[in-house]
Amino acid sequence: MSDEADAETSDALAERRGVETEVYQPAEDSHLLAEVVVERVDAGDTVLEVGTGSGYVASSVAAETGARVVGSDVNPHACRQARERGVEAVRADLTEPFRDGAFDAVVFNPPYLPEEPVAARDDWMETALTGGETGREVTEVFLDGVGRVLAPGGVVFLLASTLSGVDEVAEYAGECGFSTAAVRDESFPFETLTILALHPGE
Amino acid sequence: MKRDLMDIVCCPLDKHDLELDVDVEEDEVLEGTLTCTDCGETYPIEDGIPNLLPPDMRD
Repeated sequence: MSDEADAETSDALAERRGVETEVYQPAEDSHLLAEVVVERVDAGDTVLEVGTGSGYVASSVAAETGARVVGSDVNPHACRQARERGVEAVRADLTEPFRDGAFDAVVFNPPYLPEEPVAARDDWMETALTGGETGREVTEVFLDGVGRVLAPGGVVFLLASTLSGVDEVAEYAGECGFSTAAVRDESFPFETLTILALHPGE
Repeated sequence: MKRDLMDIVCCPLDKHDLELDVDVEEDEVLEGTLTCTDCGETYPIEDGIPNLLPPDMRD
C-alpha cells in the first residue's frame, strides 16, 4: 500500500471514529457480508454473528431470512446497541460460551487492520478495527475455535481483506481443517473484500 | 435474554451446562445469574444481556 493510500485510509477511519467512538457502525464490509449471508441462510437455521458491533448484519439476516440470529461481542456498548436493534446479544469472547454444535452458520467480520503502533489507541474502536501486527491475529484465534460450535453441515462466513491478506487467511483456515471457497469479492479504492465460506473437512 | 438461549450457551471456561437464576423477568430475562453446574463460576445477566466473558476479561 502506498503512503498516499495509507493516509487516505487513516482519514476514513478518523472520520468514522468522529461519528462513533465506541461501536463500529455498518460500512461497506457489513453490507457485503449481510448480502452474502442472507442468500445462504434458511428460516430454520440458528446463526451466530461474532463481533456483531451495531447488530446491523445480525438484524438484517434475522429480518430477511427468519433464522434465529444470536449476536456476540466483547464490547458492552456494542451488546447494548445490538440489543436495541432487536438482536439477541451475548457478551462473549469469540465463540467461547457457546455449546458444541449449536450453530448452522457462524458469521464474522473480524477486526482486520494491521496495527500501527504509533497510532494505537487503547479503546473499543481499536478493538473493533485492528487485528494485531498482521491484522490476522483475531481471525486466527477465531478459526482455532469456531469448528467446535458448528452443527453437522454447518458453515462459517468470514470476511477477509487484501489489507491483511486473503490467501493467508484461507491458508490458515485450511490448517484448521476447513475447506475454503471465496463466495464474493468486491473491490474498493484501497482494498478488495472477500467473503470466504468455510466448511469443516471430513 | 430469552430463556431458550440456555440451549445455546455454556460455561466459557469448561463448556459445561449453566443454571439460570432469574431476578427480573418481563417478556425475557432482564436480570439474573448464570452459574456453571461444574466449576461454579457465576455470570451476570444485566439489562437482558448475559455477560459470558471469562472472569479475567470482565471490566
